Amino acid sequence: MTELQYQGHLHQLQKQLMANYYAALTASAEGSGEPAAYLLIGGNPVELLRAFDILPVFPEVNALQLAVKKQSLPHIQAAEFMGYSSDNCAYVKADIGQYFAGRKTPFATIPEPSLLLCNYVGCNVYLDWFGHLSEYSGCPAFQLDIPFIRSKSGFPSKDDVDYVMRQLQRLIERCEEITGRQLDEDRLRECVRLSSLTGELWSKIKHLTKHTPAPYDAYFDSVTMMAPLYCLRGTPEGLVFFETAYAEMAERVAANRGPLETERFRYVIEGPPPWPHLRTFRDMFSRWNAVAVASTYSTVGGLWEFGFRHDPDHPLESIACHLLEWNLTNRNFLQRYEQIERYLDEWHASALIIHSVKSCRLFSAGQGDMREYFTKLGVPTLLIESDLEDPRYFSEAQMRTRIDAFFESLGHRALVQEASA
Amino acid sequence: MKYFAGVDVGSTQAKCIIVDEQRTISARALVETGANVARAADRCFAAALEAGGIARESIACAVGTGYGRFKVSFGDLQITEITCHAKGASLLFPQTRTVIDMGGQDAKAISVRDGEVVDFVMNDKCAAGTGRFLSTAAETLGLGLEEIGEISLRARNPVRLSTVCTVFVESDIMAYVAQGKKIEDILGGIHSAIAARTIALVRRVGLEPQFTFTGGVSLNVGMVKMMEEKLGQPLNVSADSHYMGAIGAALFASEHALVPAGN
Amino acid sequence: MHHVDTLIGNESLEEIVESCVQTIETPGFADAQAWKAEAPGRAIAGCFPVYSPVEVFDAAGMLAVGLAGGGNRMEIAHADSRFQSFVCSIVKSTLEQGMTGMLAEFDALVFHSICDPARNLASVYQRNFPDKRVEYIHFPQNLGVPEAIVFLTGEYARVATSMSELTGKYPSADALRGSIAVYNEVRALIRRLYAIRSEAPHRLSARELYPLVRYGNLVAPEIHIDVLTRALAGVLQREGRPRDRVRAILAGSFCEQPPLDLIAAIEDAGCYLVDDDFLIGRRFFYADVDASAEDPYRALAQAYVDGSVPVAVKHDLRISKSEALVARARAHKADAVIVLCAKFCEPALFEYPLYRRALQAAEIPHIFLEFEEKMWMFERTKTEIETFVESLLFA
Repeated sequence: MTELQYQGHLHQLQKQLMANYYAALTASAEGSGEPAAYLLIGGNPVELLRAFDILPVFPEVNALQLAVKKQSLPHIQAAEFMGYSSDNCAYVKADIGQYFAGRKTPFATIPEPSLLLCNYVGCNVYLDWFGHLSEYSGCPAFQLDIPFIRSKSGFPSKDDVDYVMRQLQRLIERCEEITGRQLDEDRLRECVRLSSLTGELWSKIKHLTKHTPAPYDAYFDSVTMMAPLYCLRGTPEGLVFFETAYAEMAERVAANRGPLETERFRYVIEGPPPWPHLRTFRDMFSRWNAVAVASTYSTVGGLWEFGFRHDPDHPLESIACHLLEWNLTNRNFLQRYEQIERYLDEWHASALIIHSVKSCRLFSAGQGDMREYFTKLGVPTLLIESDLEDPRYFSEAQMRTRIDAFFESLGHRALVQEASA
Repeated sequence: MKYFAGVDVGSTQAKCIIVDEQRTISARALVETGANVARAADRCFAAALEAGGIARESIACAVGTGYGRFKVSFGDLQITEITCHAKGASLLFPQTRTVIDMGGQDAKAISVRDGEVVDFVMNDKCAAGTGRFLSTAAETLGLGLEEIGEISLRARNPVRLSTVCTVFVESDIMAYVAQGKKIEDILGGIHSAIAARTIALVRRVGLEPQFTFTGGVSLNVGMVKMMEEKLGQPLNVSADSHYMGAIGAALFASEHALVPAGN
Repeated sequence: MHHVDTLIGNESLEEIVESCVQTIETPGFADAQAWKAEAPGRAIAGCFPVYSPVEVFDAAGMLAVGLAGGGNRMEIAHADSRFQSFVCSIVKSTLEQGMTGMLAEFDALVFHSICDPARNLASVYQRNFPDKRVEYIHFPQNLGVPEAIVFLTGEYARVATSMSELTGKYPSADALRGSIAVYNEVRALIRRLYAIRSEAPHRLSARELYPLVRYGNLVAPEIHIDVLTRALAGVLQREGRPRDRVRAILAGSFCEQPPLDLIAAIEDAGCYLVDDDFLIGRRFFYADVDASAEDPYRALAQAYVDGSVPVAVKHDLRISKSEALVARARAHKADAVIVLCAKFCEPALFEYPLYRRALQAAEIPHIFLEFEEKMWMFERTKTEIETFVESLLFA
């Protein structure tokens, strides 16, 4: 087996920090008094919560943890029993299933929300999800309405920014009500400063996969770093984690070490991973010595590698820009094509894998058009289909055949190119 | 004399082709896969050796393909049926640019240049438009899968199907039967709907002649005619069409050219 | 084939309805194309469901055509290579209409923040049809705060500017007020017909009312007003008594539309559909929009924020949609609720668990069904509805 999933110090540190984070959630659920806010990953404004010492809870992260630990199906089925459709997003179903199962998971007891912060950044399911949680928990939802990027330029308008800034002021008022204290502006600046440094490191880490061989897999290993990026951003521990990660990855670049013994194919991957079958899925690529050098999924929470940094001198404005402009989910579908083109070009990849997940139509609806676009550009493109949470929607043999056939054909192309060179 | 074997282990049937050094087919065998996939591979390999009177020692290389390709214990290489279909089609029909493969579980369209895969697409998760849809339809009408194609050719007023969903087709068919529609018209409608869906799939890799039709459904004359009508082009169909994967595998065995995946 | 606008005088209600049916079931957009050809400088905007501020397009010198999918006669040959099998039919059929040239005369296409596939469709349209103006309207999702109206007012003005680049005519306040007044008249007539439908359902079936409303998707509002006015006169002349049928309201079909025959099949199974949410965007407001407001853009935005009906694709924390459904059922004295959702329509499917909870708590019987616009046979659905109706009648 050539598969050598990266298991360095950062992996241990991630486990330890996430265990601490989940312990804090459990403590809150058991009455520590620390209020918890549910919020969504897309462009998450976690700095504002940290400034109020409100614990961020990400139902998406909880749902995917359930899937990875092969615990999602009973919850999905419980939700379907309540009337949720087999065609509804399975993240939502798993989360609502576990909510009614007492919020006890193998990794934490999830606290009841003191705030349901629905940061609506593109994903329309978010609105329903938090609306339902509000109805079930009795906790009022706070809708943070982020105008979608709809200009050709790809930038939000001044009206868009003003609109979000006004809502952030309201959010601050809500947090003040919940915590019973005023916003400490110095504290907010500090959280934003930590975020800014974290973002800088994360961006540098992502640029390291431009190197051949890539020091880590930008899909399967990025996910190890994504949980701290959301759950711990804006805290000193979060910064330490990314300092450690960057140092280790830079060392691997210097030593020309990659996650596989040899790196034969470099590809870009679009779409979230099939969490219930992550290992199996990874092996399908590893056996071809294929490494993801960039992934769109790792930019759901923010697009730091293209230049975004939080600004401690303008904390709220930079939070607004993060929500509006600097994350994958609030950008339009054609901006995603551009993002992938940049990856293919600047990260030196020769193929595109589109993993189409049924649950998340934000990602998947229209990926046939994306395939068409890249195929016409001459980029070998493979579209495969499964789900991010529902273990029933995964056909291993079918998936393997498609991936094998794709790399067989890529391998042949490479041979022809070598022969003619 | 050296020989080369290709074994295509599918979900229902396992097929073996043996070619000689001139790439001529020397032997073929087909067995039902059954519950034990590894044994099916062994059985059909043995059957082919016997049919050709070929000693096992003279097989220089064997390639496994199909869903059961990793169960071919005697195989030197595993190659997907997509790559093998492209290869096999170009042996039988060297001008092939597009392979349309319709099997029990999958429908595929493969764009081919000189026997190599340029691009391919397969049906999505939904089984609409695969052989399974046809067998459900045949079963609902109480007919054998092998006879529905012939009957569909007699359709004068093919019905319109409201779905190509394998789950719901049964109730549509029953409704038409209850309305007194002729069996041939119902079958005509079914073949037309599947052909349209398949062509929509082929369009994704480009509609470039010549087209070679492979897989079990290529033996269905009704489907061949319907596809030809809709494409406005003849289809290459061979009596060995359902052996195409095994033929391709045998050719790869003879070339031993592909770099295998890491094991 | 005769068009409604060529009929004169004293045709019966049945004749009016049947010509509307003819028009809506004829593929292509002949009336809109004819309208555009009548005078230079005219343009067509195709508006995807659910609600679109049609007045803005009208005032910019455009005909706002309501897109409502491909019905059950269109074969999808191209679009399903772009959108997967788990995406609803209307997204694919709307793309197919473009790919087969049916929208060649359309100058603009407008999509709205209703769901993820519709939004991605806007991008796919933009890429595949670079000569068309594609607009995407972001409706606020935090209704109830003052900045929502400010934002939406700005959004409408932005779209107006974009459209004026096509027609050379930026909608002045006067023009927009005029358009609001015209569409107010359309909506008032539809409200009137719906009120009759609820009070005296034997005088007007859903099978008749639906094409009358849908006709407005395809023609200028003035023509629609004329047809609705004549239809209303016909309805008022109808007599008879209500029969012993189940009074039901229908929810879930606000975007993709069920085939007309399915609507008829539901009624034939023994129901009066006393309210529904078909084409809800055509009658989105409880009352007239202020047609004399100083800032008519703001008036339109205000109507959306404070005066529009609940619908799955609108998120308003001030109200509970499931409670609103129960209240609607009570207001219409409905015996039952039919939840009829388009297959794969996530917003509609997400409503259902909450609807179910609320309806069960209120002890209002309901049935859940799925449809697709491309459905052609309804045997199964018919049987389900018949069984449901029987269970109510014999209870």
